[in-house]
Amino acid sequence: MAEVTIEWYIALSTVLFTIGALGVLMRRNAIIIFMSIELMLNAANLAFVAFARHLGDELLGGQIFVFFVMTVAAAEVAVGLALIVAIFRSKQSINIDEVNVLKG
Amino acid sequence: MNVGFDGILTLLTFFPLVGVVIILLLKPFDREDDELIKKIAVGTSVATFIISLFVLGSYNPGTANLQLVDRAVWIDVLNIHYFLAVDGLSILMVLLTTFISMLAIAGSWTAIGEQVKQYYVFMLLLEAGMLGVFLAQDLFLFYIFWEFTLVPMYFLIGIWGGKERVYASIKFFLYTMAGSLLMLLAILYMGLTNDTFSVPDLIAGRAAFADVQTWLFLGFAIAFAIKVPLFPFHSWLPDAHTQAPTAGSIILAGVLLKMGTYGFMRFNLPLFPEASDLFAPLIATLAIIGIIYGAIVSFAQRDVKRLVAYSSVSHLGFVMLGIFSLTEAGLQGAILQGVNHGLSTGALFYLVGVLYEQRHTREMSEYGGVWKVMPIFSALTLIITLSSMGLPGLNGFVGEFTILLGSMGAYEALGPNPWIYTAFATTGVILAAVYLLWMYQRVFMGPLDNPANQTLEDVNTGQLAIILSFLLFIVWIGIYPAPFFELMNDTVDFWIDYVHTAVAMVP
Amino acid sequence: MTEYAFAPLLLLFPLIGVLFNALFGRRFVQPALYEGEDQEEPVAHDHATEVHVDVYEVKTEAGEGVDVDHEEVDVHVHDADAHGALDQQHGEIHNDPTGERWSGWFASLMSLSAFGVAVALFFSLMGHDFHGAVVPLFDWFRIPAADFHVPWAMQIDTLSVTMMLVVTGVGSLIHIYSIGYMHGDPNFSRFFTYLNLFLFFMLILISANNYLMLFVGWEGVGLCSFLLIGFWFDRVDDDGVPMNANAARKAFVANRVGDFAMILAMILLFWTFHTLNFNPIFDEAIHLFEEGQAVSLFGMQFSIATVLAAVTTLFLIGAAGKSAQIPLYVWLPDAMAGPTPVSALIHAATMVTSGIYLIVRSNVLFEIVRVAAEAGDVFPAPTLVAYTGAITALFAGLIAFTRFDIKKVLAYSTVSQLGFMVAAAGMGIYVAAMFHLITHAFFKALLFLGAGSVIHGVEHGHHSLHDHLQHDDLEPEEHGFDPQDMRVMGGLRHQMPVTFWVYLIGALALSGIFPLAGFWSKDEILAHAYNPDYGFFPVYIILTLAAIGTAFYMGRQVKMVFFGEPRHPAAEEAHESPSIMTIPLIILAVLAVVAGAINIPYIPFLQEVPDHPHGFNLLLEQWLEHSIPSFHLSAEGLLNMPYKPPVFSIFVGALSLLLALGAFFLAYSVIYGKRPTEQHEEDPIREVPVFGPIISAFGVLPLDTLYMRYLIPGFNRFADWAAYRLDWAFWHDFVHDNLIRDFFVGFSRFASDVLDDRGVDGALVEGSARFTRAVAGVLRLTQTGYVRNYALGLFLGVVVLLAYFLLVAG
Repeated sequence: MAEVTIEWYIALSTVLFTIGALGVLMRRNAIIIFMSIELMLNAANLAFVAFARHLGDELLGGQIFVFFVMTVAAAEVAVGLALIVAIFRSKQSINIDEVNVLKG
Repeated sequence: MNVGFDGILTLLTFFPLVGVVIILLLKPFDREDDELIKKIAVGTSVATFIISLFVLGSYNPGTANLQLVDRAVWIDVLNIHYFLAVDGLSILMVLLTTFISMLAIAGSWTAIGEQVKQYYVFMLLLEAGMLGVFLAQDLFLFYIFWEFTLVPMYFLIGIWGGKERVYASIKFFLYTMAGSLLMLLAILYMGLTNDTFSVPDLIAGRAAFADVQTWLFLGFAIAFAIKVPLFPFHSWLPDAHTQAPTAGSIILAGVLLKMGTYGFMRFNLPLFPEASDLFAPLIATLAIIGIIYGAIVSFAQRDVKRLVAYSSVSHLGFVMLGIFSLTEAGLQGAILQGVNHGLSTGALFYLVGVLYEQRHTREMSEYGGVWKVMPIFSALTLIITLSSMGLPGLNGFVGEFTILLGSMGAYEALGPNPWIYTAFATTGVILAAVYLLWMYQRVFMGPLDNPANQTLEDVNTGQLAIILSFLLFIVWIGIYPAPFFELMNDTVDFWIDYVHTAVAMVP
Repeated sequence: MTEYAFAPLLLLFPLIGVLFNALFGRRFVQPALYEGEDQEEPVAHDHATEVHVDVYEVKTEAGEGVDVDHEEVDVHVHDADAHGALDQQHGEIHNDPTGERWSGWFASLMSLSAFGVAVALFFSLMGHDFHGAVVPLFDWFRIPAADFHVPWAMQIDTLSVTMMLVVTGVGSLIHIYSIGYMHGDPNFSRFFTYLNLFLFFMLILISANNYLMLFVGWEGVGLCSFLLIGFWFDRVDDDGVPMNANAARKAFVANRVGDFAMILAMILLFWTFHTLNFNPIFDEAIHLFEEGQAVSLFGMQFSIATVLAAVTTLFLIGAAGKSAQIPLYVWLPDAMAGPTPVSALIHAATMVTSGIYLIVRSNVLFEIVRVAAEAGDVFPAPTLVAYTGAITALFAGLIAFTRFDIKKVLAYSTVSQLGFMVAAAGMGIYVAAMFHLITHAFFKALLFLGAGSVIHGVEHGHHSLHDHLQHDDLEPEEHGFDPQDMRVMGGLRHQMPVTFWVYLIGALALSGIFPLAGFWSKDEILAHAYNPDYGFFPVYIILTLAAIGTAFYMGRQVKMVFFGEPRHPAAEEAHESPSIMTIPLIILAVLAVVAGAINIPYIPFLQEVPDHPHGFNLLLEQWLEHSIPSFHLSAEGLLNMPYKPPVFSIFVGALSLLLALGAFFLAYSVIYGKRPTEQHEEDPIREVPVFGPIISAFGVLPLDTLYMRYLIPGFNRFADWAAYRLDWAFWHDFVHDNLIRDFFVGFSRFASDVLDDRGVDGALVEGSARFTRAVAGVLRLTQTGYVRNYALGLFLGVVVLLAYFLLVAG
């Protein structure tokens, strides 16, 4: 029985990241984009933990870093959702194709 | 030697600023009380004059050294000092400055009607600046005072002047400023090569710049020649004099021009003796051209103030001839003639101002026969005119004769035939009579045919007091100049010896 | 020394007089001016002004009818009419008579006091064997570094005391005379201020112990001359030219030309001797000359005679200015514009003789040059002095022939007589020069004051006509009336007997008629020139001709003024002047008669000529020899000039007496006796064949014309050119305003409009802005505003970076 080696984790992380990235680039709904971003962050978290285990980091640096990422993600969600709500209030929509006031 | 802090010269130089501060602080308590401002200004200038008399009292004429030294390090990096001192070259100039400033400030009592506060502030600032010029013994400090005097004078001409005042004031400012910049270059060169700006130290370390002294001499000479003004740099003078208010003309003629001649004596002779000797014939020639040219041009003037202005070119020619005769008599005569010119021409400007206040014209054709209505004024004017003309027994003659005497003994500086210089300069004596008497006749003699002149009023007590103050010294120097010569005798003797020794050492 | 300690009083008294009249005189004389408050002053002045304006109007009217005499170049300015007119026309005298007396007598008293001091000095000198002394007052110049010391000090010796006696004596008489003459003039006290001031400066001049102090007096009397010639400074002639003021200025400037030479001479003396005091200079000069030592001057070596030749030549120019010699005599005739007492005091008796005094005082210097010049070493300055004097004496005499103005005749006569004195000084007979100076002071002052009395009389006669007759009756003749024109006089000996007699004495004395003073003094000069030992025979000829001329024009004048019938109603109405004027005249007349006695020469055949002393002969010479050092030199033969006391030459004396009498008679009866010359008529002498044209040629004043027509206008034009073309248009406007300022302004305009506006601002500043905008225009297209695009960019960036690190950097 093949052991679950580091490559499996990396592959899963890559797949998750790719899904997230494609979601960010292709979806129009802001909430979905938001979720895709979370997916990318979690892909990174997975990679951190996997490498930490693989490299035998006794100081648990990878794991600790994941906590930071999760904290940042939480903060990001709080700000991001607030922005989305504000956009929705003014535009009655969360379709990001309709939000292009920064056009040059 | 040359260290310490006596304090009296600092007090003297900056005392006018006390008056400035008081006048500037007045407003909150007292809304533009002109009378009070005038009293404060006159009081300050009188007090400054009294302080200068104390300076005279502490001054020892028996030495050529700098005295009453106030010296302190100012800008350490460049070895620049705050350095004030007095000697025989400057003591009379200091007294002249305080005296003339006092009379000029007192004399503008009725002449200035607007912006009184600014006017007196500028007058007092000017006095402080001029005193600094004559007392500073550090070239950097000297340069600051030198340029500083331009500012109040610029405003005095530009604000309280005649019709063309803006043109005149700008011309005055630019002309003198342009000349000074070359001097600044020379100052910086000497200061940086010797690592000191103090004049005595520079003289001691003269060898460091002796090889380029011709250029340094010219840098200083052009600045001073413009100020004097030496022919042909005189073109700013008639404009400035004609347009300046009376007190401005008095100070301009009385003191500011002397800053130029003083500069030659104080800096050019001791710092660059060989170059002075080299340039002496040229400068003496220009001086003589100035004597004759100024006199001839004066003669043809129609404006009495412009006439007196050109006469300054002629008179200052004598002073320059005296300095560059490089003789004891010439230099002493030059210093005294500087004082004499300040008194006589200052007084003449004042007298013109008295007439102008009543008639508001300076065209001589507007006058004539004024003696009939203003006998006291006319008699006093005659005496002052005669003093300007060099009548023996009055001050002008004492200076001129001493200078001419010196110039004929100047075979060392002016070549084997110094009498040629003397002879040409002496024609200035004839020409002075020609143009001054012509002026006097056109204004005071002849028929009183202009109705506007028939209501002229003779001098009042205040004016009389000022004219008599001038006259006191005019007569005193005329009949007993010995104490005045004594003040400078030893210093002049020392420096002339110094120059001749330096020149003699040149192979 | 102490015996002369009171000498400074001599200067003090006139000074007190000056201060008194200058400060208080006006209040005394015109109390009305000061009665009220100060505010009334201008009103009072107005009044005085109005009075004077009236006078001009009278004059201007008078001028219209006159056909100007072309030969008479100099315009008459009458002096006596103004105050006379005031009296008559306004019927009141504006001056307070008591105040006038105070003012005038105080001044006269000061003058008399000075005379008293001079007399006391005279006796002090007698009491001390004529040994003079220097009385120091205080230091003047003291410049130790230049070794230059000049004191104020008085030289008391026989020469200076002689001058003091003459100046204060004649001066006092003229002061007293002036009280009468100036009566009623609104500026009465000013006149006496000036007179005292003149006396003060004249006494400084003659009491100086050094050249520089002498020069103070020298210029000071010039100043007083200026003030007094211009005393009526507001007068204008018919063309509106202020003649008096011009004449005053001319006098001052002509004197200054001489002073120019004086200054140079003094400076030369200083560098030669390192002092300006008389006695040290003379002693040192003699010493150097005898030793043959060179003097160091200008760093070179000169012989003393060379330097002194230059100095004495310069002195000659100085003396020519002050003593009215060729070529600077031109101011003296114009100076007659002053009040007549001034002409008598300053322009005849005292000031104009100061040039002679200078030469006499410097006799040592002149004698050294004379000796050296005889050896051919140096320029013969003394000979030039002698010829200058002689030629001036002749020429001025010839000019006097055709003048009709009574004062102008006397003025040219003064120039002529000064020429005699200068010639005498130049020939080295200093005593004779002083002798003639003294006698001339008496008789010329007498003549001038007499002329003043005549003018005064005619003037008052003229005004009394106004009162007696209707104005219209006189109208035609009235226009040309000139009270100084001798053609309107005539027959005055009846109206003015005292004046006539004293004037006749003066005229005869001046003409050199035996035994009056002029005969002796003039003859001493002529006798010396005649003596072949001295080599001045041409001078003798010239001076004899001049002496003939003198007698001729005096005969003409006496005839025209006092004899014949009155030629104008004014002359008929003339009255004798008041006694305050005639008494000084009588005193002067007595002096003019007896003054010859002070230096009577030895009479040949009657007297032996002893060596020394001379007893009653040559009193002046015995007195002056104590202060004329060259005299002693000569006596001892040190200067190779054997001294001989003057001996009367019968030939010379008789000849000149005969010629003088002949000329006087010729004028009196032959030429002017035929028919009285009417007003505006030519002088009959012009019709005399040969002689007439010569005289006419001199009538046009060659030098005066040269100066006034060519030199002065030339100078004026040159000065105008220098002031307005050269200095203003070229130097001020063109060079400074156009070249420098306009070039600068033009450049700065170029810099501002072209360089800065289009270059710096246009190309650089705005160009960079335009460039940025253009680039931004392109770049903005990338900004779609769609988050997706930005995110894609982000990813692409990451991909590129990754590729870089993996492929290149790795």
